[in-house]
Amino acid sequence: MKRSKITDEPEHLPLHVFLVIFTLLAIYPVLWVFTIAFSGGQSLAIADLPSDPTFLDRLRAILPWPEQVSLSNFKSVMTDQPFARWILNSAVVAAATTVLGVFLATTAGYAFSRFRFPGQRAGLMSFLVSQMFPGTLMLIPLYIIIVGWLGLGSTWIGLILVYATTAIPFCVWMLKGYFDTIPLELEESARIDGATPIQIFIRIILPLAKPAVAVTALFSFMTGWNEFILAATFMDEEVMYTAPVGLRFFVGGFSQQWGYFAAGSIIVSIPVVLLFLFLQKYLVSGLTAGAVKG
Amino acid sequence: MQTRRIAIVAGTLLIALILVPLGALAQTELVVWHAYRGGEKTAFEKAVAEYNKAKGGSIKVSTLAVPYDAYADKITAAVPRGKGPDIFIYAQDRLGGWIEAGNTIEPLDFFLEDEITSRFLPTTMEAMTYQDTVYGLPLNYKVITQIYNKKLVSSPPKTSGELVANAQKMTDATVGKFGLAYAYNDFYYHAALMNAFGGGVFGADGKPTMNSAANVKALEYLMMWADETKILPAEPSTALITSLFNEGKAGIVFSGPWFLGEIAAGVDFGLAPLPTIDEAGSPMRPWMTVEGVYIAAPSQHKDEAYDFAKFLTDKPAGVIMAIEGRQTPANTAVYDDAKVAADPILQAFRKQVEVAIPMPNKAEMTMVWSPATTAMNIIIKKNATPKAAMEEAQKEVVQRIAALRK
Amino acid sequence: MNLEAVKPSRLAIGLSLALLFAVGFGLWLQARSRAGLSAMVAERSAIVSLNALTEIVERVGLESDSLQGAVARYVELHEGVASARVIRFQGIRMMASTAPEDTGEQAAPRKMAREEKPLYDLGQSLRAAVETNVQEGRAFKTEIDLQKLPAGGVALAGPVAEGDKIVGAVLIEAIPSAYQVGGTSWLQALLVLVVPILLLFALVKVAGDRPLVLLLLAALLLLIAVFLHGILGLEALHEERMAAEAHISQELTLTSRGLATILAQEGLTASPPLEPADWDVDRFRRPLGLVTESAVDEQAVAVREAGERRSYINLMIPVTVAALVLLGFVGLGAAGRTGAALSRHRVAYFYVMPAMVAMILLVFFPFSYGILLSFTNSNVYNTDQPLGDIWIGVENFVDILTDFELVKTTEDGRVFNYQNFYWTLGFTIIWTVTNVAVGVTVGLFLALILNTKGLVLKPIYRVLLILPWAIPNYITALIWQGMFHSQFGVINQVIQMFGGQGLSWFDSPFTAFITVLSTNGWLSFPFMMVISLGALQSIPGDLYEAARVDGATRWQQFRTITLPSLKPALVPAVIISVIWTFNQFNVIYLVSGGEPGGSTEILITEAYKIAFEQYRYGYAAAYSVVIFIILLTYGIWQNRVTGASEGV
Repeated sequence: MKRSKITDEPEHLPLHVFLVIFTLLAIYPVLWVFTIAFSGGQSLAIADLPSDPTFLDRLRAILPWPEQVSLSNFKSVMTDQPFARWILNSAVVAAATTVLGVFLATTAGYAFSRFRFPGQRAGLMSFLVSQMFPGTLMLIPLYIIIVGWLGLGSTWIGLILVYATTAIPFCVWMLKGYFDTIPLELEESARIDGATPIQIFIRIILPLAKPAVAVTALFSFMTGWNEFILAATFMDEEVMYTAPVGLRFFVGGFSQQWGYFAAGSIIVSIPVVLLFLFLQKYLVSGLTAGAVKG
Repeated sequence: MQTRRIAIVAGTLLIALILVPLGALAQTELVVWHAYRGGEKTAFEKAVAEYNKAKGGSIKVSTLAVPYDAYADKITAAVPRGKGPDIFIYAQDRLGGWIEAGNTIEPLDFFLEDEITSRFLPTTMEAMTYQDTVYGLPLNYKVITQIYNKKLVSSPPKTSGELVANAQKMTDATVGKFGLAYAYNDFYYHAALMNAFGGGVFGADGKPTMNSAANVKALEYLMMWADETKILPAEPSTALITSLFNEGKAGIVFSGPWFLGEIAAGVDFGLAPLPTIDEAGSPMRPWMTVEGVYIAAPSQHKDEAYDFAKFLTDKPAGVIMAIEGRQTPANTAVYDDAKVAADPILQAFRKQVEVAIPMPNKAEMTMVWSPATTAMNIIIKKNATPKAAMEEAQKEVVQRIAALRK
Repeated sequence: MNLEAVKPSRLAIGLSLALLFAVGFGLWLQARSRAGLSAMVAERSAIVSLNALTEIVERVGLESDSLQGAVARYVELHEGVASARVIRFQGIRMMASTAPEDTGEQAAPRKMAREEKPLYDLGQSLRAAVETNVQEGRAFKTEIDLQKLPAGGVALAGPVAEGDKIVGAVLIEAIPSAYQVGGTSWLQALLVLVVPILLLFALVKVAGDRPLVLLLLAALLLLIAVFLHGILGLEALHEERMAAEAHISQELTLTSRGLATILAQEGLTASPPLEPADWDVDRFRRPLGLVTESAVDEQAVAVREAGERRSYINLMIPVTVAALVLLGFVGLGAAGRTGAALSRHRVAYFYVMPAMVAMILLVFFPFSYGILLSFTNSNVYNTDQPLGDIWIGVENFVDILTDFELVKTTEDGRVFNYQNFYWTLGFTIIWTVTNVAVGVTVGLFLALILNTKGLVLKPIYRVLLILPWAIPNYITALIWQGMFHSQFGVINQVIQMFGGQGLSWFDSPFTAFITVLSTNGWLSFPFMMVISLGALQSIPGDLYEAARVDGATRWQQFRTITLPSLKPALVPAVIISVIWTFNQFNVIYLVSGGEPGGSTEILITEAYKIAFEQYRYGYAAAYSVVIFIILLTYGIWQNRVTGASEGV
């Protein structure tokens, strides 16, 4: 079909102008993180002004660019501590959290979307409810359960379990909402063709829900990737620490090494960006008109 | 005959087999938790390695560094449940809370010999004492002192008169230059002035005294510095102070050993004791925090743990931590060591600590911070007089303590 | 109500289950009271012995040579005491001991051995307790330590005073008490269980086929049975209690006689005269005043009993209500229907189960613990006590919710009290609404733009725009804080570049609110953008085609197609982000720190401060429960409006 671009699609140039400006503003604080990381120093950014500053002096002061560029912070972060090992631990924990979280959430989300059963509303609500109780007081009860009862201190499994359950409620709700938008007729026709419920779920529903699965995967990953206090509390061996724990060594207490922290933060966000790059194609490949018509 | 010999050989072997694992079993493993990092961590681990070597395998100490932000919670969660270390190192500010919570820190009175207690600065021992019982051996202390830029300040001021006079010459707020910069809005830093005026947060009977005349006077004095003589910058965050000092825009900074690591390479700095406050007739007396070596109450190896604590607070380990870790040990003998004696920075802190006052280790201390911070802020913003603000803080602290000790 | 389902057989089953539950619970409570009674006798007898011994030690003197002899004679005379030890803090010395191993080389007085360190530490902790109590002028910490021995019996320790200084401690081990408390009356229980059911059957004959009447009758029978069982049980307990008090009075008599003998042998006159009634104290060493040597003060005992009776009734009321519910549940046939539903929908349950199990273990369990905690006075001083002992009911909630002090008077006049609960609550709500509005608007807007067909560089924009989410917020939050610094912050620099006057951002509640709002808005829009991007994919393109054919404008397309289609995925995201923002701790804590004067504090940062700065765990838990209830109300309301939890 031929489309008249002039009337239906917005003009691209203004969009680009807007996006460039907005993106620059949005990454401005991030640029400061880069500036601190590459400065070779340790102090948090403070505008350095000469006496009686002019417009240009002020402009220079607010431009995030280090006076000298140095990689020393990155080098120190990677060599002073077993940071690579900690990133690896984080990767394993976050990846397993993603797999487990997405698995548990897709099945539950599917049931909540497709079946009507007693306790359905209550069940769905209870997932939401679990997010409502503030986590600050949960540390000791969780410690008792994971380390005391289950004996999972200093293990990956303990952390994965906790992170996955933290991520589940949002994932279930998100997926349930998305499953709701997938037309029932698709399943009906498959059922007529003799497909089992499990087959329908895996072959039809999951592929169609790719954007939502991508979102939940990213979310679960982030849950496991950035958590600090539980990881620091459950792990009793330095080799088992995760990257956020390693990062926090640079701050807290009397002195703060912001240069190291910034460099570490950048290293730590690289996998997240990579994952997002990988998930992007699923994020923008949803239902097509053809699929609905079946 | 033959069979007997075989029997003997077999018997010997058997005994050897039994004895070997017994020998291996005899090694005691101790776990130590700490929150050191960087150079402090390296030096601490070196001292631990020395101990392991000295014990020749009978005791093996292993260490675990915990990020400071998670450290207290980790101890609170793990130690009372018997899952924690044998020894941990922490400042005295949480001591009271952990003792009241129970099953966390082992009292040491039973072990303590006079020759051990006399090792330390008496004030550091005081920091380790709660309700007349000693709970830890003091390892290192931290105090704030006067740090000055040698290029800007030829000789550090000894009195508040000199300080203000010099600082006023240097200060030019319009270009962001200040004679003195320190986190005066932080109650911890302000305590140096407070103590100079004879103030404090708890009286002899343990009751809060936030609104005491001395405390109010100290705050009025601070307001004179900040408001009348205007030698101090506004909103003095630690990042700001560091950057002012490094850029030569602050002549003098009041800060602790942690600040030294943040001083930029080119800055020529010196240390001197905090000045005497003429109006109070007393030197500024900063609060001192003391890192104590504590034995975990559920530990199965308390004797070995105490032995290790003694080693760690002895002179040789102290010298390692002072020279290589840039820490300031509580053991006075450390400062007689030739290398330490020649170190102007370590000696400067040693001198400063003479007038320092241990920060209270009562559990109620945590209830002071938030009302005190609020009071400091409204006083500095001039939204309330020191008297009114401290009356309010006192009310708040009394009410919180009453609610806690219901 | 489906009265058709009420059948006599169902009612009988329901009644027996309800009876078993309620009466069973009552039995358990009564048995517990009996056990408590016998423990009380053991404890009080032991405390009497301990205090009597302390009396001897203080009269004879810690330093006296005859201390060992006096202590030994005391133990000989007192069958209840297996062994006794006296320690002195100064010099860490064992001054007297009748423990079997302490003879010959080991005989007291001597320096205490390494294995005896726990005894010494215990003595010191008692000293600290006494001093604390004197300083506070009230009973705050227990002054007598009591431990159950693994072999039966109890070990006790109490302080020894010299003048008004605590200089040592007395430790005794008491043998298991021989005192017998009566057992449970099983016959009575059986009657209470069986008779109502028989009566029910009899009544069925009389009342016939009238379901409502039968149901009410069954309920009445249940109530009568529970009531009778309670009355009889409490009466029996009262008898036991009086006997127990008499026993203790007798103990006092025997003990004081023994003591007088020993003191006479030591050549000490009993002056000041012995006051045996003062030996019967609680763990704070406060005289109980229930018995004297010769008599039991029935009135005082009755007062104590009234309290115990009240707690019995308080516990039985909810249990009885639960039993009534059980009766209705079974009697009305709901139980059967539930069972059937479970098996009919087993596929659905199978799908939900794995997630549910994980949630129950790791979320709902700690969560219920938190709720229990909110009804207690748990704090740093009593973490070792069971929750039941520090139960204070709804006091915490009353404290929180009746905090109406919006204005307080200080020396400078009347000022607004930002620490007030309702201010914090109001601020939290404003904070949440604005943040979610900003996050959703910006996120959705960007997603719509980035969804434009054929727009080049889309992947680059997308990646750059998720950076605020990807970088750990600990550092970015602090960078935002730095950007708002009044003298050196970027924001004020920009204002000054254009000739404006910089602001002190953290000085007024409104500008401080702007700082936390911008920080959190910045942190949260990428998440909303990603969600919206995903959700936009669920809209079939041909819907737009059709709209275009009908000549709809872009705004109309957005309102009639995009928004409604986004709803299923966006509503959950909004609900969840409301909850998260409500509990967003980091941004407030790191950026404004609640300044100025606690005005930008939100409920969660307040709860955190109560727990970790004020050590009041119970109160903080109550705060958390209040937060929870507010969010739950919101969740239910939102659900009702949007129908988000409905299935397809």
